[in-house]
Amino acid sequence: MTALPRLSTVFLAAITTLVAVLLYSPLAVPIVSSFFTIAHGNVDWSSPTLATYVALAENHDILAALRTTLIVGVCTVILSVVSGTLLALYYHSRRSGRTLLQFIIFLPFLMPPIISGLALLIFFREIGLERSLLTVVIGHTVFVLAIVYRTVLMRLQSMSRTLVEASYDLGATGWQTFWRIVLPNLSSAMVGGAILAFALSFDETMITILVTGTQSTLPVRLWAMMRLGFSPDINALVALILMFTVLLCVLAARFLIPRQVATERT
Amino acid sequence: MSGTGTIPLAERRWSLLVTVLAFALPVVFVLVPLAIFLGYSFFSVDQGTIVHTLSLGNYVRFFTDPIFLPVFWNTIVLCLSVAAICILLAYPAAYFLTTLKGRWRYALLMLLLVPLLMSYVIKIYAIRSILGLNGFLNKALVGLGILQEPSTLFVFNMNAILLTLTLLLIPFAILPIFLSLERIPQVLLRASDDLGASGLQTFLRITLPLSLPGVASAASFVFVLAIGDFLTPQMVGGISGFTFGRILYSQFGTAYNWPFGAALSVALAVVVIAAILVGERFGRNRGTAI
Repeated sequence: MTALPRLSTVFLAAITTLVAVLLYSPLAVPIVSSFFTIAHGNVDWSSPTLATYVALAENHDILAALRTTLIVGVCTVILSVVSGTLLALYYHSRRSGRTLLQFIIFLPFLMPPIISGLALLIFFREIGLERSLLTVVIGHTVFVLAIVYRTVLMRLQSMSRTLVEASYDLGATGWQTFWRIVLPNLSSAMVGGAILAFALSFDETMITILVTGTQSTLPVRLWAMMRLGFSPDINALVALILMFTVLLCVLAARFLIPRQVATERT
Repeated sequence: MSGTGTIPLAERRWSLLVTVLAFALPVVFVLVPLAIFLGYSFFSVDQGTIVHTLSLGNYVRFFTDPIFLPVFWNTIVLCLSVAAICILLAYPAAYFLTTLKGRWRYALLMLLLVPLLMSYVIKIYAIRSILGLNGFLNKALVGLGILQEPSTLFVFNMNAILLTLTLLLIPFAILPIFLSLERIPQVLLRASDDLGASGLQTFLRITLPLSLPGVASAASFVFVLAIGDFLTPQMVGGISGFTFGRILYSQFGTAYNWPFGAALSVALAVVVIAAILVGERFGRNRGTAI
């Protein structure tokens, strides 16, 4: 797209700047207020403070919710990576019913979360499963499974068949080939999928609200607090979480960009 | 002979077992809940208990009660408006990105996608405080002389929902449009230039038509995400901003009518499936493969 007239470039840059401002202003509010006091829409720039961060360390309620979120996230990651990888292998092995299976896996990701959440809520009630962290983990796993599955499947499909064939030619059994050739080649996609799954689980709000029991995750806790207004230490938490998620995102990008296949290097 | 006959049988059994195991998890936790949910939409509630007799009562109520259909249409219009505004903002931004070279292009793309990672609840809260009576938006408008005094135009009503959903969902519109713009072969643009077309002509007759699949996907994404959202309207909509998602959610809370809520969900699912199909139909890339 060369030789753009100057005027249109200025126009496009202006709109892009506007979009960036629109996207970043909701982020700026809590981050600025984690360091400065805001009263009646005016920022007091004169006195930066870390008091909110100190207060956060004392807020046991929020820290407990954060711990719950991490537990749910880790369980979700383990369950979704294991089942997502197995399902991707199943699809890749061209066994029967794979298109239908893939459709079912994608359903909770395509449907609005309120529908997936309510369907699970009724299901848990019908089978007599009390709402608890277990139901939250099931809800999250069902939701993020599609992402892990897709990530692993894409890597499987881009993997050269010659690697597997070479392994068989050299006398390896099916299991040996799986453990020593297929799995190592999938590992970075699995890590990437795990990070995406964790990020989604960490911020999942709508399904969680519907299937959670007494112990709530951080987004649900924040949602409940929002009606009353937030205490300033929440801003500190938000600033920390944002830093953490950006870091996770950079990591995920690194793992998801395919490595050079080891054989090509030598 | 019998030896060769048993191996395929054992293999077939094994194969069947693998298939059953693969289907077990998705069927039990996705298909069965959705089927039960669909079944619930034909039940009814009497004195706080669910009556398990099949009837079309919920659907009849949805179509005949003067409350639900108007809210349903209004919500669809609202979400279409959100999609339209998101595209109007995202298209120029995505186009600008494709005019940049190499590293800058992806750095800026990342910059516009990072806000997706920010806590959803916190974003709603922050946007509400920006839109509020004492918020930065009112301050800016009064400061610029556009408004005489701070206005409550942007908080606790439909405008607030529209603005908040738009701010939340813009990144989902940028990505598909950017990808479709990026896929347009440069040779087409150069050919158009060589044949004497102006920049505007090239844009209107080459770039825009070839990027429409991306626009369709973006519209479908944003619409589906907007119509399924019940937390944003709950938080910024106040009393006047009543959306379908909120009515649906209330059936499982204060109204306590799960079967009717299930029927409303079916209506929502129909709209969502239609939107996905439309997005899929027009979202296919044609003519860019060279």
